[in-house]
Amino acid sequence: MIKNYIKTAYRSLRKNRGFTTINIMGLALGLATCLLIVLYVADELSYDRYNDKASRIYRVNEDLKLGDNAVKYAVCMAPLAKTLIAEYPFVENATRLKNAGTSHVKKGTLNISENRVAFADPSLFSVFTLPMINGNAASALVEPNSVVITETTAQKYFNSTNVVGKTLLFNDNTLCKVTGVIKDVPRQSHFNFDFFISMSSFPDSRSTEWLRSDYNTYVLLKDKSYAKQLEASFPALLEKFSGAQMKAQLNLSYAEFEKQGSFFRLNLIPLTDIHLKSNISGELSANGTTQYVYIFLLIAVFILLIACINFMNLSTARSANRAREVGVRKVLGSARKHLIAQFLTESVLVTIISTVLAFVIALFLLPLFNQLSGKELAINASSMVWIVPALVAIALFVGVLSGSYPAFYLSAFQPVDVLKGKLATGFKGSRLRSFFVVFQFSISIFLIIGTLVIYNQLNYIQSKNLGYNRSQVLVVKNVFELNGQAKLFKQKVKELPGVINATMTGFLPTSGWKNTAIYFRDASINEKTSLFPQSWQIDEDYIGTLGMKMAAGRNFSKDMATDSDGVMINEAAAKFLGFKDPVNSVIYKATDSKHDLAHTKQYRVLGVVKDFNFNSLHENVSPVVMTLAENNGALSIRLNTNNLSQLMSQINAVWKDVNPNVQINYSFMDQDFDATYRTEQRTGQIFIIFTALAIIIACLGLFGLAAYAAEQRTKEIGIRKVLGASVAAIAGMLSKDFVKLVGISILIASPLAWYAMNKWLQDFAYRINIQWWVLALAGIAALLIAVVTVSFQSIKAAVANPVDSLKNE
Amino acid sequence: MIKITNLEKFYRTEEVETIALNKLSIEIATGEFVAIMGPSGCGKSTLLNILGMLDDPDEGSYIFNEIEVAHFTERKRADLRKHNIGFVFQSFNLIDELTVFENVELPLIYTGVPASERVKRVEEVLDKMQIMHRRNHYPQQLSGGQQQRVAIARAVVNKPKLILADEPTGNLDSTNGNDVMELLTDLNEQGTTIIMVTHSEHDARYSHRIIRLLDGQAVVENIMV
Repeated sequence: MIKNYIKTAYRSLRKNRGFTTINIMGLALGLATCLLIVLYVADELSYDRYNDKASRIYRVNEDLKLGDNAVKYAVCMAPLAKTLIAEYPFVENATRLKNAGTSHVKKGTLNISENRVAFADPSLFSVFTLPMINGNAASALVEPNSVVITETTAQKYFNSTNVVGKTLLFNDNTLCKVTGVIKDVPRQSHFNFDFFISMSSFPDSRSTEWLRSDYNTYVLLKDKSYAKQLEASFPALLEKFSGAQMKAQLNLSYAEFEKQGSFFRLNLIPLTDIHLKSNISGELSANGTTQYVYIFLLIAVFILLIACINFMNLSTARSANRAREVGVRKVLGSARKHLIAQFLTESVLVTIISTVLAFVIALFLLPLFNQLSGKELAINASSMVWIVPALVAIALFVGVLSGSYPAFYLSAFQPVDVLKGKLATGFKGSRLRSFFVVFQFSISIFLIIGTLVIYNQLNYIQSKNLGYNRSQVLVVKNVFELNGQAKLFKQKVKELPGVINATMTGFLPTSGWKNTAIYFRDASINEKTSLFPQSWQIDEDYIGTLGMKMAAGRNFSKDMATDSDGVMINEAAAKFLGFKDPVNSVIYKATDSKHDLAHTKQYRVLGVVKDFNFNSLHENVSPVVMTLAENNGALSIRLNTNNLSQLMSQINAVWKDVNPNVQINYSFMDQDFDATYRTEQRTGQIFIIFTALAIIIACLGLFGLAAYAAEQRTKEIGIRKVLGASVAAIAGMLSKDFVKLVGISILIASPLAWYAMNKWLQDFAYRINIQWWVLALAGIAALLIAVVTVSFQSIKAAVANPVDSLKNE
Repeated sequence: MIKITNLEKFYRTEEVETIALNKLSIEIATGEFVAIMGPSGCGKSTLLNILGMLDDPDEGSYIFNEIEVAHFTERKRADLRKHNIGFVFQSFNLIDELTVFENVELPLIYTGVPASERVKRVEEVLDKMQIMHRRNHYPQQLSGGQQQRVAIARAVVNKPKLILADEPTGNLDSTNGNDVMELLTDLNEQGTTIIMVTHSEHDARYSHRIIRLLDGQAVVENIMV
C-alpha cells in the first residue's frame, strides 16, 4: 500500500512540476538558511565549553567607582588568585593570565611580530582544558623564562612539535625555554594565545598591591554551588586585605571610602558567559553579544515560518483542484483513511526532498557564509548529531501539518458534492490564506526596514565627522622597537617628499592604547570632583597630523620650554571640569596612589581640542587630558602623494636603515577604524543577506499563490477577455487582491519595525533618526516586489488565447 | 465581411496530431445569418473561435473587413474583437460575482465608454431584452432563458457588426430557445451579421445558409429559402 501511495504522490508531484519546484525550492532555501543561522548561533553559544570543568570556572571581575567615575574591569589585583586558594577550602584552584601585548620573537635573523602572547600561572592547565602534546603540564610554567607554545606555533618556528628544551628569543632580550607544546587553543575560546610565558618571568606578578588591577583571574570551584557564597564573602575579603593599604595611601578606611560614594567590588562571571555577556575593560579578546545571537535566532525562526507557511499555503491551495480526484477515488471505494494516508505521504515526500536539498544548499553556502561572518563553521560528525534529527523532525512536522488540511478536509466530503463541483472554493474564500500572506509580508517588510536602518547607521558611522581626519594616514606601529632611534626615524620620515607631517605616540583615536589617570580640579584634592580621564602623551605635531581642531587656546609648541608642564584637554574634559574659561586654569594630577597635595603635580591648561571620537560610536566622547611627553608607540604619518608604493618603500627603507633587524609593522588609520566596526558591518551584511533570502522565499510563495489564483479565475479571465479586457486590466484585477494584503502588512509591520529599530539605535551614542522615507521605501519595495511577482502570473494568464481559458468548460 | 482561405488548425499532444480544420475556405457577406452544423469533433467550435479571433489558425488566410488577421498578435486581435464582435455561448459565461447590469456594462468599460453613456446604453439594451426588472440580480438568481438574454444583451451592447453564437439554445428548453432565436433574427434584420454553431436543425432553419462540416472540411452548403 505504501508503495502505491508513494507512486501516486510522485506522479501527482510530477504532473504539477511548476508548483512542486516552487514548493520544494522555497522550503529548501528556508531550511538551508535556518541551518546556517543555527550553526552560527551554536558556535557563538559554544564558547569556552571545550573546558571539561567549564561549569565550575568563574572569572573574577572588578567594579570600581571613584567619585563620579564608574568602571568595570575584567582584571583583578595580582595577589587575589593566591589569596582565594588560601582562604577558601571550596576553591579548588585559581589561575591568572596577563596579556603581554605585541612581542617580537626571533626566527633566524628575523623578528616576527606576535600579538597572541600571555603570561600564565602554572595552574593554567589544571583549570583550563588545554591538552599538552609534549612536556609536563604540571611543571611547564613553574620556572621563570619558560614558555608553552601551541602546535601551530611550534611548526611555524621549528617545523616540529617535538621542541621541548629548545629556546625562543623574545624582544631581543628575553630568552625563554620551551617547556611544553599544547594543542591549539580552540577558536571558541574567549582567549586565544599562541605563547604562554610563565608568570614568574614577570616580576610584577608577585606584587602584593590590592589597589591596582592588572590580571585576568579565574577561579575553579569544587562545586558551582559555592559561587554565591564566594561572591558574598568578597566585601569582607577586600576589607581584610586592602584595608591597610587603603588607609596608608588614601588615609581612608574602607567604610569611609564607601561613604564617599566610591567603592570597589568583586564579582564572578561564569566562564561560559564571558563571550556573549561580557564586554568590559581588560577583556582578552573582542567578545560577541547576546543581542546579535537573539536577532539571528529570530530571523531564523522568521525564515522558517515564512517557508513553512508558503508550503502549507501552496499545498492547501492545490488541494481544491484535487477535490475531483478525491470524489472519483471515493466512488471507486477508497476508504477515508487511505485518502488521508495518501495526502500525508505526498506532503511528507516533498518535505523530505526539501530537507535533503536544504542540507546540500547549506553545505555549498557554508564557505561563503564563513567568509561573511568571519567564522570557521563546519558541518562535521559532531554537528551532524543534532542537525540530522532536527532536520528530520522539521521535515515530518511541516509535512504532516501541511498535509493535514487536504487530508482531513477533503477526504470528509461526500463524493456526489465533490463531483458536482460544489467544492470550487475560490481564492477569496480562504481567510486563513490571506492571513498567512499578511503574516509573511509583515515579516518581510519588518526585515526590509531593519536592513535599511542598519545600513544607514553603518553608513553614518563611516561618514561621520569624527573630529580628526583618518584618511591618508599611515600608522607605523611599535616604533619603540627602534630603541633609542625612534626620534631619528621620525625626523627622517618627515623629510621624505610626500610626507606632510608625522606625530609619534601610541595614543591614537583608532588604537587600542588607553591609559587613565586621576586629575583633581583644585588644590583641595577632593576625590568627589576628581576627573578620571584618558591621559595621553603626545607631541606637538599630533593636532596637525591628525587634523584635529582647537576650540580654544593653543597647541603644544616646541619653542615653549614650559609646555611640558601644560596639558591640552578635549571639550568633554573642559565640560566635566566646569571651568568658565578653561585656558590657563590649573589642574592637579596624582603622581601615585596617595591622594594629597604633596603627591600631585600641577598642570596648566594650554588649549582645548574640539571633541574627537576615540571610543566606538556606541559611547559618547569621554574626557581626554594630553601631556607633552615622548611616547614611541607608533608614528602616524600624514601622506600626500600620487605614488603611494614608492613612498611606502621609502619609509620602509628608512626603517631598515635605522634598525635592520626588526620587521616594520604598519596599517592605514582608516582601515584601523573600519576594524572597530567589523562586527557591526558583518552583522549588517549578514542581515541584508538574510533579509533578501526571506523576501525571496516570501515571493516564491506569493508567486505560487498568484499562479493558483489566476488558475482559479481562468474562466472569468477568459470571459473578460472575450468582452475586450486588455492585458493590463486583467493583470490589475488579479493583482488587486494581493496588493490589498501587502497594504495591510505595511500597516502592521511599519510601526513594529520603527519601534524595534529605534531600540537597537539606542545602543549607539551617535545615531541616525529613522526617517519617514525609510518606512515609505520599505512599503513601496514590498508592494513593487508583490506586484512584479503577481503580475508575472497575471500577465501570463492575460496574454493567453482566451479560448484556452474557456475550453475547459 | 469574412473570407477565409485554406484555413488549417492542428491540435498536438505528445504523440497524436489531430486536424481540426483542413484547408477550409468560406466566405460570409455582411448582413448574412449563417448556421454551422456537423457532428461532434468536426471542427465547428474551432472555426467559430478562429472567426471570433479567440484563437489563431496554424495555416491559411483570414480576412476580416478586408484586413488580414490570421497572424495578428493577441493584443491587436483583442482590439479588433472588442469593437466588432459580440459572443453568445451555450453556457452563457456570465461572471458570477457581477450583477446583470454590471455584466452587460463590462464591454462598454473595456471600450472606454464614459460612465453616463454606459448607464444609458445598458438600460436601453436591457429594456429591449425585457430583463430590465432583473438588473440588480446575480446570474445564479436567474433562469437559463433569462441568463441567455443577459448574455445576448452583453453581446450586443457595443453594437457589434458580427455576432458569433456557439449553440445559444443548447442549455435551454424549447420555449426559451425559440425566444433566443427570435432575438437573434431581430438583430440580423437590423443589419448584424450572425454566425451560429448549432446541433439543432430547428434552430438552423432561422438562418439564411447552413454550412455543414465534417472532419474539418465544408461538405455541403444549404441555402435556405
